[in-house]
Amino acid sequence: MARWKKRRRLPIARIVLLTLYMIFLFAPLYWVAITSIKPSEDYLAIPPVWFPKEPTLGHFTAALITYHGLTGLINSVIISLSATALSALFGTMMAYSLARFNTGGQHLSFWVLSQRFLPPIAIVLPLFLNYRYFHLHDTRTGMILAYTMFTLPVTVWMMFAYFRQMPRSLEEAALVDGCTRWQAFRQVAVPLAAPGIVAAAVFAFISCWTEFFFAIILTSRHAFTLPTVFRSFLSFQGAQYGEASALAVVSLVPSILLGILVQQHLVRGLTLGAVRG
Amino acid sequence: MVEGAAAAPTLIRTAVDRWSQWSDRNFKWLLVAPAVVLILALSIYPLLFSLWVAFINYDFTVPGHAFVGLKNFQEVLADPVARGSFYVTVILTISDVAVEFVLGLALALAMVGNFRGRGLIMSVLIIPLFISPVVVGQFWALLLQRPFGPTNYLLGLILGHDVGIEWLTQAPWNFIALILADVWQWTPFMFVILLAGLTAIPPHIYEAAELDGVGPWRTFWFITVPYLAPMMLLAVTFRLLDAIRLFDTIFVMTGGGPGTSTYTVSYYLYTIGFAQFHLSQAIAGSWIFLVITAVVIFLLVRRLLRVEGV
Repeated sequence: MARWKKRRRLPIARIVLLTLYMIFLFAPLYWVAITSIKPSEDYLAIPPVWFPKEPTLGHFTAALITYHGLTGLINSVIISLSATALSALFGTMMAYSLARFNTGGQHLSFWVLSQRFLPPIAIVLPLFLNYRYFHLHDTRTGMILAYTMFTLPVTVWMMFAYFRQMPRSLEEAALVDGCTRWQAFRQVAVPLAAPGIVAAAVFAFISCWTEFFFAIILTSRHAFTLPTVFRSFLSFQGAQYGEASALAVVSLVPSILLGILVQQHLVRGLTLGAVRG
Repeated sequence: MVEGAAAAPTLIRTAVDRWSQWSDRNFKWLLVAPAVVLILALSIYPLLFSLWVAFINYDFTVPGHAFVGLKNFQEVLADPVARGSFYVTVILTISDVAVEFVLGLALALAMVGNFRGRGLIMSVLIIPLFISPVVVGQFWALLLQRPFGPTNYLLGLILGHDVGIEWLTQAPWNFIALILADVWQWTPFMFVILLAGLTAIPPHIYEAAELDGVGPWRTFWFITVPYLAPMMLLAVTFRLLDAIRLFDTIFVMTGGGPGTSTYTVSYYLYTIGFAQFHLSQAIAGSWIFLVITAVVIFLLVRRLLRVEGV
C-alpha cells in the first residue's frame, strides 16, 4: 500500500510530461476563448494578438442572433433534456428487469449493447427515409425519439451494472410486507439507485448535447441543434472566426461543467459499466 | 339505474385487481417493453427497411423504385472513391488509436499515486471528453489554418524561418491536423480507463518485485503490462469501434478535401446519399460497412465484457 499511498514529490519526467500535455490541452481552448472576444481587425495581425486590448462581446450576439445560434441552443436544450429524461426512465426500468429477473437472458442485454457499436450511418440513412414518411423529419419529437434510442444502450448498461451491485434484500423485505413488484421498484430500488441514475442521465445529456451526425441528417431548418449551427461557418467566406469561437464557447461550457460534476462515474460511463472506477 | 351504480365500482375493482395481478406476473417484461419497442422501431425496423432499399432503386435523381439486384453494391465496390475512403479510414483509425494509446498510457503512468494537485489535474485532463467533436474540429481549424491560426507563426519562431504550411488542404499536413484533433479529444478516454486498470493492480506485487531487486523497466514489462492487458484490450476495442465512424472533424476541418482525399467511409456514404442523392447506393455501402463492424462487435466486445465479469 505504502508505495502508492505515500504523498511524494514527482520525478522530473512526470512533471515534464504533464506540463507539455497541459500546453497541448490548453492551446486550442485558449485560442478559441481569445478569438471569441477579439475584434475582427486583430484577426490577421502578425505577430498574432494574444490578448485583445479592446475585447468585444459582439461575436456572441452575432453568433446567437445573426447565425441563429440561439434557436439551436433552445432546440438543443429541449431535445437533450427530454431525451435524457426518457432515456433515464426507460433505461432504469429495463436495467432493473435485466439485473433482477435476468429477463431475456444474455441475448437481450447483449442485443441492447450491440446497438451502441453499430455504425450510425447504417441506422440514420433509413431512419431519414422513415422520418420523412412519418413527418418526423426536422421535428423536435423526431430528434427526441432518435436521441432516446441512441443513448439507451449506455444508460441501460450503466444502470445494469449499478443494480447488480445493489443488495436485493430491501426490495425482498418490501415484497414480504405486501408491496407489489412495481412498488418495490418505484419506492425502494429507484431511490437507492438515485446517484447512479443521476450519473447515467448526465452522460446521456452530454451525448445528446454534443451529437452531430444524427442532427445533421434528421434536421434542417426548424429542429436543428447547436452543433449543426457550425455548418454556417464552414465556407469562412467572411472569415467568421469570432462567431465560430463564440458559438464554440457557448456549446462547451455547459457540458464541461456537467462532466466534471460526475467525474467519479466517468470510468463506468465510458466502459458501459464494465469497469468500476 | 340503482343496480348499475352499485355494480360499476365492483366491476372496476375486479378489473383493477386483474390488471394489477397480470402486471405483477409480467412485471419484468413490462419494464423492458418501452426501451425494446423504441429500439425496435428506430433501429431494427429502419435496418430491415434499408435491407430492402439496398436492392431497389431509391435515388432522388432517378424516378421509380425498381428492383435492381446487386447493382447498388456493385456500384459502391467499383467506385474508386469508396476504396479510397476505406483506406483513409483504416489509416486514420490506426494512427489515432495508436497515438492515443501510447500517450494515454504515459499519462496514466504519470498520474499513478498520490501527489499535490492530482485532483485538479485529473479534472482538467478529462475536459476534452465533454466537448462536441464538431467544436473540437473547429478548435483545430482555428488554430492551424492560414492565415488566421498562430501555428505557422510559432513554428517560424522556433525554426527561425518562415513557415507556410496549408494545414487543412495540403497532404500530409491535413492528415496530421485530423489526427491532432482526434488525439486531443480521445487520449483522455484511454488515459481514464488505463489509470483505473493501473490502480487496480495489487500493490504487494510491486513491493515483492522491489524486494527482489527487479528494475523498473522489467517491472513494467513483466508486471504492469500483463496485469493491464485486459484493460488495454477493452480501451483499444472501444476506441477502435468509435474511431472507424470518424465524420465530425472531417466535416468541419477538411470537408473531405482536397478533392476526395480525406473522405472517410462515413463521410463518403454521407456525400453519396445527401450531396449526390444516390440513397440506395449509400445504404448498400453502409450495409457493407455494418457487416464488417458487426464481425468485430460480435467477436471482441462480447468476449471482453465476459472477461471483465462486469
